[in-house]
This record gives sequence, C-alpha cells and structure tokens, in this order.
Amino acid sequence: MAAVAPVVPIRKRRRRPIDSDTVTVGRSRAGTLFANLAAIGFIVVMAFPVYWVLNTAFKPSNEILRFEPTFIPNSPTFDNFKSAFNAPFFQQDLLNSVIITLGAVAGAIVVGFLAALAIARFQFYGRKAIILVVLGVQMVPLVALLIPLYLMMQGFGRTKELPGVIIVYIVLILPYTVWTLRGFISGIPRELDEAALIDGCTRAQVFWRIILPLTGPGLVATSVYGFIQAWNEFIIINTFNDQAQQNLMAWLLQNQTQRGTFWGPLMAGSILTAIPVVIFFLIIQRNIATGLTAGAVKG
Amino acid sequence: MSVASPSAPARPTPPGPPAPGAHVRRKRRSSTSSGLVPYALALPALFLLFALLGYPMVRMVVLSFQNMRLRELFAGLTPPWVGLDNYTKVLTDSVFWTVALRTTVFTVVSVALTVTIGLAVAMLMRRVAPSIRIAMIVVMMFVWAMPQLVATQIFRWLVDADFGVINYLLTLIGLDYESHSWFAEPLEGWAVITSLVVWAGIPFIAITLNAGLTQVPKELIEAATVDGASPWQAFRNITLPILKQLIVIVTTLSAIWNFGLFTQPWVIRDGRPSSDYQTLATYAYSTAFKTNNYSLGSAISVITVILLAAVMVFYIRQMFKIGDVD
Repeated sequence: MAAVAPVVPIRKRRRRPIDSDTVTVGRSRAGTLFANLAAIGFIVVMAFPVYWVLNTAFKPSNEILRFEPTFIPNSPTFDNFKSAFNAPFFQQDLLNSVIITLGAVAGAIVVGFLAALAIARFQFYGRKAIILVVLGVQMVPLVALLIPLYLMMQGFGRTKELPGVIIVYIVLILPYTVWTLRGFISGIPRELDEAALIDGCTRAQVFWRIILPLTGPGLVATSVYGFIQAWNEFIIINTFNDQAQQNLMAWLLQNQTQRGTFWGPLMAGSILTAIPVVIFFLIIQRNIATGLTAGAVKG
Repeated sequence: MSVASPSAPARPTPPGPPAPGAHVRRKRRSSTSSGLVPYALALPALFLLFALLGYPMVRMVVLSFQNMRLRELFAGLTPPWVGLDNYTKVLTDSVFWTVALRTTVFTVVSVALTVTIGLAVAMLMRRVAPSIRIAMIVVMMFVWAMPQLVATQIFRWLVDADFGVINYLLTLIGLDYESHSWFAEPLEGWAVITSLVVWAGIPFIAITLNAGLTQVPKELIEAATVDGASPWQAFRNITLPILKQLIVIVTTLSAIWNFGLFTQPWVIRDGRPSSDYQTLATYAYSTAFKTNNYSLGSAISVITVILLAAVMVFYIRQMFKIGDVD
C-alpha cells in the first residue's frame, strides 16, 4: 500500500487549511449544534453501561442493594475486587486462562503464518479452494460444532484437560490468523522478494530477511486478536472441562449462578476479566476491522 | 501474480532492463522449485482445519442420522442408524418452528437496527466537532472491546428487578417500574437482549462505515449542494452508492453473527433459558447437552447451518468480487 502511493503536490495546495476532509458547504450553525448534541446523547447512552459497572464495583454491598442508587460511590471500596480475587477457583482459572491463551496463540501464529505465506506468495493448484475453506469455516456457528467436537475429545480422553482445549482454540483462531496475515504479506511489495532473489538470496533467506521482519507488526496485531478471541471463549471450555480446569470467562459464568445476587463481586470480577482484553483491544484496534472487511476500505 | 511472471520488472527503481542472466535464473528457479513448497507450507493449517473443523462437520451430519444418547457415549458403542427420524422429529415439532422464526425475526430486527444506527452514527461523526468525534471513538472502542459475557453480565445487572438502575430511572420519569421483572414478558426480555446486541454491535459498523465515508470525495457533495441538491439527495445519490459494498459486507457479517446468537440469551437467563428465550443455537445446545440427545441436537445444528448457508455463500462471493482475494 505504502509503495504505490504517488506524491501529488498540486492536490495539497488545493486543500483547505482547516478540517479539509469534511463537507462545509450548505451547513447551518443550528444543524451543527444539533449534530453535536445528538453525538453527546449517543456518547452518554453508549458509555452508561461501562460507567455503571465501574460505579457498582467500587460500592460496598449495602450501597448496591437498594432501589435508589448512588451515582458516585459514597464510600468507595476495593472489597469487591478482593472478594472476587479470593473467590474459589479465581486464581487457578486466571492461570489456566493465561496458559490456554498463550498456547493457542503461539500455535495458531506459527501454523497460520506458513499457510498465509503459501496463499499470499505462491500460485498453485487448489489455492482458491484453500481460501474458500478459510473464509467459510469462520462462518460456521461454533455452537453447531460443539457436539461432534465434544464426542471427539471424549473419544480421545481429552476432556477435562487443558491441552484438548488449547488445540480446539488454535483451530478457532486459525482462519482469522491466516486471512489477516495473508493481507499483511500481500502488502509487502513482491519486487522486494525478487530483488533479493536476484541478489543471490535463497527462498529461505528471503523469508527470514525480508518477509518475516516486514510482517512483524502484522504478527503482533494478529496475535493480539487471537489472544482476545481465546480469552473471551467460555462455551467450549465450560462444556468440556470440569470446575478445576476452567478459564476466567467460564469462572465468571459459573460464579453468576453460584453467587446469585452478589452483584458487587460479580461486577468486580467482570472488570478483572475484561481488563486484559480491553487493553489489548485498544492497542490494536486499527487492525481489527481490516481483517473482516479486507479490501472494501482502501485507506 | 506468480513470482515467475515475466512482465514484472525486477526492481521498480532505478529503471532499466534487468540483467538477463538473473531473469533466466529466476524463471527457472520458480518453475522447478516452487512446486511442492506452497503445499508443504499450507499443510499444517489444512490438517488442523480438517481434523478439528472439517471432520466434526461431517461427524455432525452423520450424527444427525443416528441416535446417540448417553449410553452410547460412555460405552463407546456405535449409535444405531435411524435415517431421517431426527429430522422428522425436529421438523414436525412446533417448538422448533417457533424458535426458528424467533431467531430469524431477531436477526432481521437487530441487524436492521444496528446497521441503521451505525450508519447514522458514522454520518454524525463527520459532522460534529473534532473533540466530540474523538470522544465518540473512545467510547465505542470500549464498548467494542467488552467481552460478550461481561457485557451480558452488565446488562443483567442494569435490568435487575430489585436493584437495577433502569427500573429506577424509569420510575424517576414517572413510570411505575419498581421491582419490575424484565423477563416475565418475553417481548420485553427480547427488547433487553436486542438492546444489548445492538449496543455491542454499533461500534464495529459505525467505525467501519466512518472509514468508508472518508472515501466519499467532499468535492462531489459540495458540488451537488451548490447545484441545489438536498442533503437527503446528496446522501441517496452520492454517499450511499459509494458505501454500498461496505454496507453489504457489514450487514452480511452482522446477520451471520446474530443468527448464531447464543451467549446473550443463555447467560441472561442463567443458563436455563425457558422455551420463550431459546434461539436455534441455544436450542441445539440444550437438546444435546441438557437432555443428552446428541443426535437431535446435531440435526438442529445441521438445519441451522443450512438456513445460514445462503448468507454465507453471499458473503464469500462478495469477498471474492471485491478482488482482494487474488
């Protein structure tokens, strides 16, 4: 993308100095005011649930369990977080989450990168079929595959264990990984490969010295997205494994039914579970949409 | 596209003919050695995809023609073949049809709402002050990042009958919602679930469409405005055609996601959704794992995938049409 952007100095001169990409002709002040007010309304509605979970998590339980709520905690406390962190299985499941997620991401990146390389850099019989498979399997509802997967894992004696879940998660994030990395590799000008080949590099050297370093940012973004997907999954693990072998999301699900109306710790637990995802998501947000709508937005 | 393509210049700069020797060598190398390389590279991924997605899909179809119960599962017996019995059972069951219809109606309503609001928000983002636009993006990023399960827990708490803030706010504006249970009446319960899904779905659509709107040349809109076009005409005849492809893709994706709705009704009804809150996905899951009728559950899943197939084929064709695939 960067390689083909031509320099057009004339166009730059024609641009207006301020706010050049929005239309300004035919816009009234009242209209702009209305737009800004509507936008603020939208922000309030969208942000409210996020604000409310934070607000709840820092309240003592006597402040939570009443009909007329306080909009800022009167006596802020960390008790809910402590109670969630020390709840049965929380720390174990946190550790499980980390192991499962890292295992799944590492596996998917290695396997996915090789496949992406094949699709992006080689022309071979069956290439379109592979793309079709990769795009197609992303669409199949996960829950539909849960039954046969469960029976398979049961057959291998791999339920109730982490490795079984890790392998399933690798496959879960693999299609997206292949598809996104393919985009990043295609973005590297083919001329670079060719120049290196002419200068005497072998295919392997082209891979190690050109493609791998230039795909670096793509690898980071893809791993982070894989991390988010694996971290957020709870249906598979909750169905396959017993209580000692869950991840944090499944913990959150089971805690809900066990604790009933203990809203404070539940909201604090929700925050603790969501924090890694939110942080990672904010880091790579630019790359996420491009994987799903690749090619439709030309930036 | 291939490495051997003779028309591709060896280097973009400096211009000049590539060394003839290099050209010949390059050509020979790729015609001999690239033969099996791509297959070797793709093999591990294909193996995993076929073993853990392809095979289960086949197994799911096979299961739907058998009668797999708990006894067969634990004894490792081959379940008896029952032909089309499961399908007959599902398709003559009025509960299934109610669930299928509900899932479809939910998908249509939620996708229409998400895409319409998302488009409106994307347009709004082009109009507001820069600081407000940044605030919109930040808020939407947080909502987008929220794990589904966490978002569902938050909404469960917001509409809690006794201490939920929504009941309080509604009471504040004069309605009697004290101790109001949102899930006693399925229509109200589904309004909550739809709000949750739309709330969580807006950021993806709004931010993607906003990126698409940057492609609409402002000169075109301004020229049209100067020529007397109303804002609606400018939107209808300039913006919409340019955005069309992108809108089709986000709509298709949302439809696929929302048709497979599972987490929200499942969690919001404490993992035991009554028949009023079943979707095709939760119905298949409950049938398989709560009543241990794995075959019947598989049959429901197969039917779900078939119902979705048309949308999926459409999406993949769009992706190919855009040309990014090549």
